[in-house]
Amino acid sequence: MFSGLGAIALNTFRETVRDRILYAFVLFAFLFTLAGIILGSLSIGQNERILQDMGLAVISMIGGIIAIFLGTNLVYKEIDRRTIYLILTKPIARWQFVLGKYLGLSFCIFVVTGLMGIFLVGLLAVFGAEVKALVLVAQAIGLIYLELLFVIAVATFFSTFATPLMSVLFTLAIWLIGHMSQALLELSKLSQANTSDAACIPSCTKLGQVMYWIVPDLAKLTQVRYELISLRPVDCEILFYLITYILAYIIFLLLLSTLVTEQREFS
Amino acid sequence: MTNYVIETSDLIKDHTSPFLRKKFRALDRVTIRVPEGQTYGLLGLNGAGKTTFLKLLLGLLKVTDGQVSVFGHEPGSPKALARIGFLPESPYFYSHLTAQEFLDLVGKLFGMNGKTRKAKSLELLAMVSMAEHAKRPLRKYSKGMLQRLGLAQSLMNDPDILFWDEPTSGLDPIGRRDVRQIILKLKSQGKTIFFNSHLLPDVNEVCDHVGILHRGRLIGEKAITDSAGTGRYQDLEKYFLETIAQADQSRSANS
Repeated sequence: MFSGLGAIALNTFRETVRDRILYAFVLFAFLFTLAGIILGSLSIGQNERILQDMGLAVISMIGGIIAIFLGTNLVYKEIDRRTIYLILTKPIARWQFVLGKYLGLSFCIFVVTGLMGIFLVGLLAVFGAEVKALVLVAQAIGLIYLELLFVIAVATFFSTFATPLMSVLFTLAIWLIGHMSQALLELSKLSQANTSDAACIPSCTKLGQVMYWIVPDLAKLTQVRYELISLRPVDCEILFYLITYILAYIIFLLLLSTLVTEQREFS
Repeated sequence: MTNYVIETSDLIKDHTSPFLRKKFRALDRVTIRVPEGQTYGLLGLNGAGKTTFLKLLLGLLKVTDGQVSVFGHEPGSPKALARIGFLPESPYFYSHLTAQEFLDLVGKLFGMNGKTRKAKSLELLAMVSMAEHAKRPLRKYSKGMLQRLGLAQSLMNDPDILFWDEPTSGLDPIGRRDVRQIILKLKSQGKTIFFNSHLLPDVNEVCDHVGILHRGRLIGEKAITDSAGTGRYQDLEKYFLETIAQADQSRSANS
């Protein structure tokens, strides 16, 4: 059972790391992080903080771009290029195929995020950051990776039935909504309170509430990350809660992806 | 009692257009039984439903109505797939892999251990005359080379039955001869072979039994081991053309 799963994961990992575009993105990430040094030198005594903020933003952004663009092609490309015929006619279950693809890309993103993270932590160490600060930055990078795992799961789900362009749009929308879900809830509460006639409650009020309950609150991850980079340690309990919360969404999305793949015909 | 490896009974497959909800019947009450050890050639014009039939046997498509089983199992079940070697029509591969890496991947999917995978992939690459290209990326392969690799990967698990969709397409005369020889060798080992083709000379040379699929219907079946010698091919061609002409005539008479 694990031989097939591992084989698909390894193949997906190989496919992504042998794609030259990945290296272009990583190179960009290094260059942008280095640009943080120049920006920091323009500030007064904030070099380290600017480098840290810039580096984390780059890891989040470049990691997100890679996750979205590779994730939305993950299953779709197999169907489009008809390589799926050679895989699904072997004795493996479709959940193994979906999970294997997901794990392969997740490991690739882990390596990329890890490299970018090591580079950032190394630069911060050179600039004289304390070990305690470096540990907190490493935790923040871990949370970015957790968020990317969620983005890959969303992209994988859409790639099982939609074209890459549609999947990119859907995944971006979910990612953005996830970051704004608290604001959406507040907005819906405000609009409800300001409307005297119940019948006039706009449908977008309800939509905001539904979105809040469906999409995970990614803003929480950002808040905790902010705490960490402000050198304020976060309780292990909160970190554990966040990891469980995001993992639950990932498992749910992978189950949905498997369900779609099970139902699909490959004509 | 005869052991049937493939059994279909009144098999129906409808394709539905996603927007217009219009139905198109790709297969209409197809009943085929293939006993163990037989080499069965499914003939038909382009679009007759041959590939659809194969995909139903493999579980890539879902049955609309009727019965289908492979080794007594549901199509697409891991137990059935473990005993099948499949070659799709004009196979597509992962262009980032080399031939050896690809065969290794296939071996892993069948749960084979590392030593067996390596030995088997080298043996198969030699068999399809691809040993010297084992470490070249597949994106640099010609169509014929990909077809040869497709044949090799379908034999990786030492299958009991082979499902080959147009195995000789894209091959030069030497490649076609090699494939025919491989089929004859597999036949001598008692393997069951089921393949789609519209190349009558190839079918004629290796098959024990043929079926003709036309517009989704099985319009004829015939054992071809009974005739022998140079007249065999002409017999098969004549039988094929006459059966299709008759089916078209009765169709236009009915409509």
